Amino acid sequence: MTTTAGAATSVAAPGTREVSGARSRRRRHGDTKVAFVMLAPLVVLLAIFVIWPLLHAVYISFFTWSFYASSEFVGLDNYVNVLTDQAFLASVLRGLGFAAMVVPAQLVIAFAFANLVKSFSGRMAGLLKVTIYVPAVISEVIASIIFTIIYAYRGGILNWALSLVGRDDTAWLGETGTALPAIAVPAIWIGMGIASLIMLAGLLDIPEAYYEVASLDGAGWWAKMVHITLPLMKNIFLYLLVTGFAGSLQFLVVPLVMTNGGPLESTTLPNLFIFRHFTNDLYAGYPIAAALLLFLVLGSVSAVIFRLVRSEKAVDG
Amino acid sequence: MTRLLVTIGKVFLAGLFLLSALFPLAWMLIAGFKSKTEVVQTPFQFFPEVWRWENYTQILEDPAFLRSIGVTFVGALLFAALSLVVNSLGAYAFARLDFAFKRTLWVVVITTMFIPGIAIMLTSFIVVTQLHMLDTMAVLVVPGAASGLQVFFLRQYYLGVPVALEEAALIDGAGRWRIFLHIFTPISKGALVVVGVTSFLAFWNAYVWPVLTITDANLFQIQQYLATFRSDRSSELGLLMAGSTLAALPVILLFLAFQKQIIGGIRISGMK
Repeated sequence: MTTTAGAATSVAAPGTREVSGARSRRRRHGDTKVAFVMLAPLVVLLAIFVIWPLLHAVYISFFTWSFYASSEFVGLDNYVNVLTDQAFLASVLRGLGFAAMVVPAQLVIAFAFANLVKSFSGRMAGLLKVTIYVPAVISEVIASIIFTIIYAYRGGILNWALSLVGRDDTAWLGETGTALPAIAVPAIWIGMGIASLIMLAGLLDIPEAYYEVASLDGAGWWAKMVHITLPLMKNIFLYLLVTGFAGSLQFLVVPLVMTNGGPLESTTLPNLFIFRHFTNDLYAGYPIAAALLLFLVLGSVSAVIFRLVRSEKAVDG
Repeated sequence: MTRLLVTIGKVFLAGLFLLSALFPLAWMLIAGFKSKTEVVQTPFQFFPEVWRWENYTQILEDPAFLRSIGVTFVGALLFAALSLVVNSLGAYAFARLDFAFKRTLWVVVITTMFIPGIAIMLTSFIVVTQLHMLDTMAVLVVPGAASGLQVFFLRQYYLGVPVALEEAALIDGAGRWRIFLHIFTPISKGALVVVGVTSFLAFWNAYVWPVLTITDANLFQIQQYLATFRSDRSSELGLLMAGSTLAALPVILLFLAFQKQIIGGIRISGMK
């Protein structure tokens, strides 16, 4: 879970910089020895299990690499193959479509939730905050198992509920038209807690005085929403939008467990496409090139947004 | 009158949120009490005919289930402990110490936050293969312990600790290790709880990495067990639901026990 983080302080205590400045004038890099000992486990582990694999992946992407044969330099061939592969491009488009279902739903849920919690006091607000986060700690495997029985064609609760309003049974996971929306629901379910709590934190950051002044000026609920809440939460929306898109495009376990990409590839999202090539292909250059291309786009977009949101926070705070 | 309507609307909405978050879990719990034909049967039946505790006792008598729960639990504890040590030490160095190449190293650590797992999945697999780590507990515990995200989070927290606290200790001649252990560690208990619990949860819920690296049934992780059960014994749905409920229980309890710290730790500044 790459979710919970970020302490309340976005700005360093003012004293910190002065002290380290004063010290460095006396004894520049004076702590190097002890610092390197403290950093050693972190740096060594990151080097072996993250940085080296990344560099190696970049290297392999220019070769026809396999576990069993000697590899051959092929230049940009792997990248060209990826970008001209209809199946890969289709999976990316499918991923975008999937994100277009998941992200707006999450934003709406989170925004409604945040405003609702803000309007409640103490105990009820606490109950809501804790409850909405419970799905986020459930594994994607268990979520897949639960939603599989909910979607069951015969005797599933969803078809039963819909039969009450006169709809015929649907094989939710068995039809190309419904399978992707059907796996979007658990994605929303798992992700809504985090999005909601971030949204709530952003909403509570807005100084209450703004609303009070607006009330004195006779602004109603709608005017406050349009002129105070929405503009001040622009960054939060942007942040959730981008991380939501990145997260959706990397969604892997639920389609892997629930549908394994089917029926007829209708739930083969980009990461599942790459994962299947990893486990099935003889040569690794092609899927690695595909993964790196995705990484390049997603990683740089999230890095930019991350910077943007942080810098504005610092200015505000 | 409008006030009343607004209140009713709010309560309704709150109920809707609670229901949508909890219903799937309640449904899993209920299904765990059903016989294997009852879970998905026509005509539809909401509650079981008789509440069968047998599913729960039966899955608890399955040695493979117990073993995977136990192995995953031990692994998650080791993983949480290792994450805490590695990331808090690194975070402290970045927050408080003055050393050569600090900026460069910081950029490297931060950059690792943005590397998606899929990009390095195969090459990480190559690394652990060459280190002969496949089918060992180490392959589950060690590779993911160092985390740029956790370091970032803890560093933010340490930066907020008043400098005056350690200055007094420095003047008294305390070393950096003593300051870290006796001042920073106790004062940042809340942040360390967040790191420990989120690491535990991540380990408990992991599926893809164990599938790639563990084939030895003695080391099967709980999510692997459930996914395999789902595909191999798909007719025994009541049993599967009971097993899933039991596998979800520890993480739910853990979250509820530390919900204050976990929810308090969610802020925009460190999210990814």
